[in-house]
Amino acid sequence: MGRTIVCRCEDVTIEDLKQAFSEGYRDLESLKRYTGFATGFCQGKCCLAHAARFLSALKGGDDTVADPTRTRPLLHPTPASRFAGAAEPMEDE
Amino acid sequence: MASGRRINLPEGSPFERGEPVQFQFEGRPVEGYDNEPLAVSLLAAGARVFSRSTKFHRPRGPVCLHGHCSGCLMRVNGVPNLRTCQTHCRSGAVVERQTGWPSTGLDLFRAVDLFSGERLDHHGMFTASSAINRLAGSVVRRLAGLGEPPSADPQKSVPVSRFKSDVVVIGAGVAGLAAGRALGECGHNVVLLEAEEHRGGRLLDMATPEGWKQAAAEKNQLESVAGIEVHVETPVLAVYPGDPLEVVASNEGETLFISARRLVVCTGAYEQVPLFENNDLPGIFGPRALDRLTCGYGVVPGEPLVLVGDRDETLRLAARLVELDVALAGVVTSRRDTPDLEAVRRKNVEIFEDRRIVCAHGGKWLDRVEFAPLNSPQRDLVLDCRTCAVEAPEAPAYELAHHAGCRVSFSSQNGYRVVVNDEGQTSNSQIFAAGHVTGATSVSEAARAGERAGLACALSLKDDNKIRERLKSL
Amino acid sequence: MRDRAELVIIGGGIVGLSLAYHLARMGMTDVVVLEQGYLCFGASGRNGGGIRQQWSTEVNIRLAQQSVRMFKQLARETGHNIWFRQGGYLFLARDARIAAELEKTVKLQNRLGVPTRLISPAMARRLVEGLNTEGVEVCSYNSTDGVLFPWPAVWGMATVVRNLGVEINTFTRVTGIDVKDNHVVKVVTDRGAVATHRVVNAAGAWSWQIARLAGLELPNKPYRHEILVTEPLKPFLEPMVSDLSDGTYFSQTMRGEILGGIADPQEPSSMETNSSFRFLARMCNSMIRILPRLSRVKILRQWAGYYDETPDGQPILGRVKPVEGFVQLNGFGGHGFMLAPAVGKIAAEWLLRKQDHQIFHTYDLGRFERGETRKENFTIG
Repeated sequence: MGRTIVCRCEDVTIEDLKQAFSEGYRDLESLKRYTGFATGFCQGKCCLAHAARFLSALKGGDDTVADPTRTRPLLHPTPASRFAGAAEPMEDE
Repeated sequence: MASGRRINLPEGSPFERGEPVQFQFEGRPVEGYDNEPLAVSLLAAGARVFSRSTKFHRPRGPVCLHGHCSGCLMRVNGVPNLRTCQTHCRSGAVVERQTGWPSTGLDLFRAVDLFSGERLDHHGMFTASSAINRLAGSVVRRLAGLGEPPSADPQKSVPVSRFKSDVVVIGAGVAGLAAGRALGECGHNVVLLEAEEHRGGRLLDMATPEGWKQAAAEKNQLESVAGIEVHVETPVLAVYPGDPLEVVASNEGETLFISARRLVVCTGAYEQVPLFENNDLPGIFGPRALDRLTCGYGVVPGEPLVLVGDRDETLRLAARLVELDVALAGVVTSRRDTPDLEAVRRKNVEIFEDRRIVCAHGGKWLDRVEFAPLNSPQRDLVLDCRTCAVEAPEAPAYELAHHAGCRVSFSSQNGYRVVVNDEGQTSNSQIFAAGHVTGATSVSEAARAGERAGLACALSLKDDNKIRERLKSL
Repeated sequence: MRDRAELVIIGGGIVGLSLAYHLARMGMTDVVVLEQGYLCFGASGRNGGGIRQQWSTEVNIRLAQQSVRMFKQLARETGHNIWFRQGGYLFLARDARIAAELEKTVKLQNRLGVPTRLISPAMARRLVEGLNTEGVEVCSYNSTDGVLFPWPAVWGMATVVRNLGVEINTFTRVTGIDVKDNHVVKVVTDRGAVATHRVVNAAGAWSWQIARLAGLELPNKPYRHEILVTEPLKPFLEPMVSDLSDGTYFSQTMRGEILGGIADPQEPSSMETNSSFRFLARMCNSMIRILPRLSRVKILRQWAGYYDETPDGQPILGRVKPVEGFVQLNGFGGHGFMLAPAVGKIAAEWLLRKQDHQIFHTYDLGRFERGETRKENFTIG
């Protein structure tokens, strides 16, 4: 099947974005949650700009997607063992 | 396995292959080099399908070659989801694919892709009855997940090094190197953190030894300035806002927790692949990734190649590839009559003008690409090829700055970029940014911006007339 | 936006939507829901999806039981899969005092029909391969507790109520509640006003702010709670695991990610939603201590949301004096999602059919003045 893949990590196609938009998920955060784009391993590095462009075209301008989705750590998936050693003992321990 | 081939690395390549090693790939021995990423060795050995996608089980392979996508993930020595483009070969390493049933190569669940029509509604599926819902849940759960949990022994906590620095510069590309050097020359202690093994950023992917020479020169210049502490292969994972800022970076040997008064963000941009039908077929790369693969690591995954784009770097890559006797099926561009295009033409490679890519075809690997004229939907060109590099606007790597509170702005043309004033200061007075992360479009622009941001950052720490003058003169 | 309605619900999270859902299904659709952000903006979009019946008070246990029954039907009812998986909840108790509490609580749960069992650390190790039970005295396990994916529950209910005629207004901030002669007459928003005589305050961590608009002081305080999620892996962890000594909890989602959090007694009340390194480090440390094989599992993302806490950890439900027509459905702390189906139905029956229910007496606002608070001991995260 010929598919235009927007988010490779979660297999979100351009048709998925169109369908979600038609069902009323029209802000970037809702579109992301409903379709799943940017929620996978690369956390949007390869797809967020595409999705924002898609919404901008449908909503009539770049100012409609002025804010990206909320950025959260970590920039790259990293083993838990890299951080465990930084835990401070709690005051009452 | 089909054909990938190795070409000789040009002299002066920072990507020296190192010593030959042999590792195990799903029970078969594969030759690689200890300085070569596993993904590259596998492509050289003709590996095609690296993984299957989550929903449709479509074949996938390496795409970005720089560690920001998820195309090259494999299980290595009992640890799942390792980016094989960032993991060097080691003698005796056990490398396995993770997805697909009964195998990644032959995945029966591809049927989902072939028979599910235009969309697969994962919200409405299996809701007809509660019993179906429960049953489907346990099946879908089994299909989910990129790989089995780690079977390697649990890892001891990595030592954490906590220290303070006046300035942290993130990224040792042209902008970061310039900023770090400027700050060091102003007498400040700088910690420069770089995710890759080599300094230079996109200078390393410029299809000619000139880029490498410049990268080496920048490195030497930096090293001649005192007070700059460089950590390579140490990606920054987060910057937590506050005063001081908290910068967390980590590599296999240690985690750094740095309290920084100032930050200069020079994280560059992520190469993207444009949207078109079957844009996810293995064999499709961006030009920068292809440059790294062919001219950096010396591996051609499959011939003939097609290059699509208008940037100088893309055309230069085409010219370099024909010079290296790599088979090109064509170059598709809107540029005219540049020396690189002439060089391509002289080698009897056809140049197709003013077309855009509309569709790729292939089974488990790219077979051919279809084009239409720029302003028409009518497809009028099909090029047989095994590898295709196609341009798309890059996406600035704004995340670290954004999380630390810096404003970003969006344009359909360029994606989200960090907003800075003329001196490289972001909306957060502790943070400066320069280079492609702010929307720079050339290496020279990035270098100038890096120097300005470094000087402005120095000034923000301590006012000094000489530095002020130097900044004004730029 | 409608300019008048029989009922206005402030808060489009799971509690507000559950109320609207049951009202609509009972035929009352002259309802306007006001949500300040996108659907799933608040705690309903940020929680870990844990659904348990292991509580220490009878009322909570019954509400949870009823909610579990309702969650099992929700996917079918709404056409949105919530991937509810009853993989169980395993609690670890490390000291004798907590162990004694646990024993009492399990007896209560059993009396009410929840099949929780006290089990030995050895049995716990059989339930979770590689579990480190060093220092653990005793555990409790209920196989009918579970986890779900919260967002589709919100979308599913919203879709159903919209189709039935309820109006949901997202990106709409409430800026005022007009009260005349101690009676609510109007809700004012940044997109217009809705005349109404009944307002339900289901605004979660913003409930205290909403209440103030009506001249009411609630004792609720918001607290940031953080969560992290890992890379998705094939299923290897069946139950939610929770350590009662420090409030660590984690489970494996339908997508295969390990998701969880840890309590932080040092966290002050605030409306902070930034993520912290402190949480990342403490949570990784605790996760690895409990399940060492997690040391090599990669952390993907961390985020934060609020618990809407009251002084005794129990919600505030029902009418308040002296404002007539201003109903509270808030203060659920970290367990609003898992009680929302039952609370929504009970509140709908109360509002529409005037069916009284014990929860409006046990959990009324007046209990604090009367000194009749009932502490919930089993909180995590």
